[in-house]
Amino acid sequence: MKTFNPKNLMVSAMTAATLSLGAGGVMADDHPIHFGGIYILSGSAATYGEFAQEGINLAIDEINQSGGILGRQVEVTFEDSQGKAATAIQAARKLAYQDNVDALLGLDSSGVAQGMVPTVPELQKPFIITHAATPDVTGNLCNEFTYRISVNVPQNQKAAARIAAKTDAKRWTTIGPDYAFGHQTWEYFGNYLKELKPDVELMEQTAFPRFGAEDFTPFINGIMDADPDGVIISVWGGDLVNFVRQATNLGFFDQGYELMFTVGAATEVLDALGDRMPEGVWLSTRYWYDAYDNELNQKFVKAYMDRYDHAPSYNAQGAYSAIYAYKQAMEAAGTTDGPAVAKALSGMTMEATNGTVTFRKADNQAMVSPTWGKTGPMHPEHGIRTLTDIQVFDGEDISRAPEETGCSL
Amino acid sequence: MKQNILLGVLLVAIALLIALPWYAPFFYIFIFTEILILGLFAVSFNLIFGYTGMLSFGHAAYFGMGAYTTAMLLLHQDWPFVYTLFAAMALSGLLALVIGFLCVRLSEVYFAMLTLAFGMMVFTIAHSWRDVTNGSDGIAGFRIKEFGLGLDLTIGNPAVYYHVTLVVVGIAALILYIISRSSFGMILKAIRQNPERVSFCGLNIRSYRLASFTIGGIFAGLAGALIAPFLRVASPELMHWSMSAEPVLMSILGGTGYFLGPFVGAAMFVLLETWITSFTESWMLFLGIVLALMVMFFRKGVLGTFLDWWMNKND
Repeated sequence: MKTFNPKNLMVSAMTAATLSLGAGGVMADDHPIHFGGIYILSGSAATYGEFAQEGINLAIDEINQSGGILGRQVEVTFEDSQGKAATAIQAARKLAYQDNVDALLGLDSSGVAQGMVPTVPELQKPFIITHAATPDVTGNLCNEFTYRISVNVPQNQKAAARIAAKTDAKRWTTIGPDYAFGHQTWEYFGNYLKELKPDVELMEQTAFPRFGAEDFTPFINGIMDADPDGVIISVWGGDLVNFVRQATNLGFFDQGYELMFTVGAATEVLDALGDRMPEGVWLSTRYWYDAYDNELNQKFVKAYMDRYDHAPSYNAQGAYSAIYAYKQAMEAAGTTDGPAVAKALSGMTMEATNGTVTFRKADNQAMVSPTWGKTGPMHPEHGIRTLTDIQVFDGEDISRAPEETGCSL
Repeated sequence: MKQNILLGVLLVAIALLIALPWYAPFFYIFIFTEILILGLFAVSFNLIFGYTGMLSFGHAAYFGMGAYTTAMLLLHQDWPFVYTLFAAMALSGLLALVIGFLCVRLSEVYFAMLTLAFGMMVFTIAHSWRDVTNGSDGIAGFRIKEFGLGLDLTIGNPAVYYHVTLVVVGIAALILYIISRSSFGMILKAIRQNPERVSFCGLNIRSYRLASFTIGGIFAGLAGALIAPFLRVASPELMHWSMSAEPVLMSILGGTGYFLGPFVGAAMFVLLETWITSFTESWMLFLGIVLALMVMFFRKGVLGTFLDWWMNKND
């Protein structure tokens, strides 16, 4: 246990101002810049956290080899959110107050994000969400410390609705996890699709299995009994692996449904499924390693595959890009001071592996597009399905208008 | 003499707790807030378990009820914080009264199973009733602004919230202590030791058990009402059976025979969890080993074993 330590007084006692004024200038140069990452590192979605760690570690090693940030080396501490809001909030407090991190990044789950984001301003540290997709955190819960570099539910569902509207499917239903993400996916998909194609039917019969449920059989059977034309599926993580296996056994993929997996092209899942992921279904991802023809992406994919021997997932890419976003913001601000870095992120434009990305001033959401594609043949080397008929949309065009977000920054 | 030393130690401990924000690393304010809240939860459980001899496996239902009450009142009604505490106690007490009424007629393992069943029923309602409880995501995003009673406290500040928790838990513990030392408390102890004998004295055991169960529920609700603003979320996990196991473990760790035993157990539980999870993810394995050793060799818990040894020394 840490006992009396003068450094800790800086953050707690009344003397904070005087001490840090005296010590700040001297300490700033030699201390490494410290990031805190909060991801799911245990349970059925643990591979997502592991891929995020891989992305962050790669970015940090690259940065350290090329001189660091503001001339300082960079390091990271990870905490397990366990997919629970309360755990993530405690982890953020530990990182901010015990480990004295300079900036936070992470979060894999919408429910966790909804709980944690309102507490971020108390920590006075910038926070970049790299995966969790609930619209609320860059909507009615937004704040000046919280940013999101990854695709959110409305962006993904507006794209999904455009694709769905072009198909012949009239009667749509959903299978999704029984928490914010699954319910909001269905809500936004339905609303956008109705706008584009008013004669579609959004069915009453939907399925929301518990996140982490192992048996999806009754839900799959229920949907098959209702006989829809199209199904939007937002099951993810280890659940999606189980779901696809069980759905295959039940003949779900032989019914001729139009199937759209809203986060199906996560390479964590494709790796685990191999050729058991059926061909000819629509998969979405926040980032597809093969879809961006720019120098940064080529460099990233090569470095990542050389080091880890599998294709980078969107979670790896989001986490990797967030570290570079912090690098740019800290260099622009000339400091690692929390509020100053948060301010530098507002409206910032950066070159990322998925193109030019801007954090919109109005809601701190990155203007990015999901990548949708149809599963094709297996990739000869990577051991996963390829994506064909790839569709990438304009980030600005696919995002909610600022006044729709409910965020007033 | 020894009594005076104990009183002195207790006063020093209280003084150290009050002064905590001025000497401990900032992070330990969170740790000790959690210890105090879970300590109250465990003490409220121990009134039912250690005093009345009923092993309830659904105590988290009342803890969670308190948490949801506070979270929802803060979110929807903007009540001052202190009034939500009373509302949480009232609703949790009511829930404990209803469930207790159905459970106290059974004893031993049947009582434990029935409380577990009711606990999971309450959990399932919180988990599934999405329109009201927001399902598995729980109630979050509520603002913590006003304390109430005309006091100008910024309870959003963790150090202030720690002191508020310390005062509330202190008052609650004092009330529970007085109850446990009263003639009512003595009867509860007698029921644990020999229920037949107590009923031969003409006392209605069932009413006493129900009263004990309800009081335990009221104070578990208070602990829950304190944890929601601390965690900033009231989620169904707070009602899960694994949460009901925590006060059982804490009471056994600290010792069920002494009033403050569960507080010591809560402190051990939270501190061990914090330290061990810094080294390894498998902290439950270590907890299991510690618990097995406690149950095999130190049945009276850490505080109980120490106090019994010390009080009998040189006698």
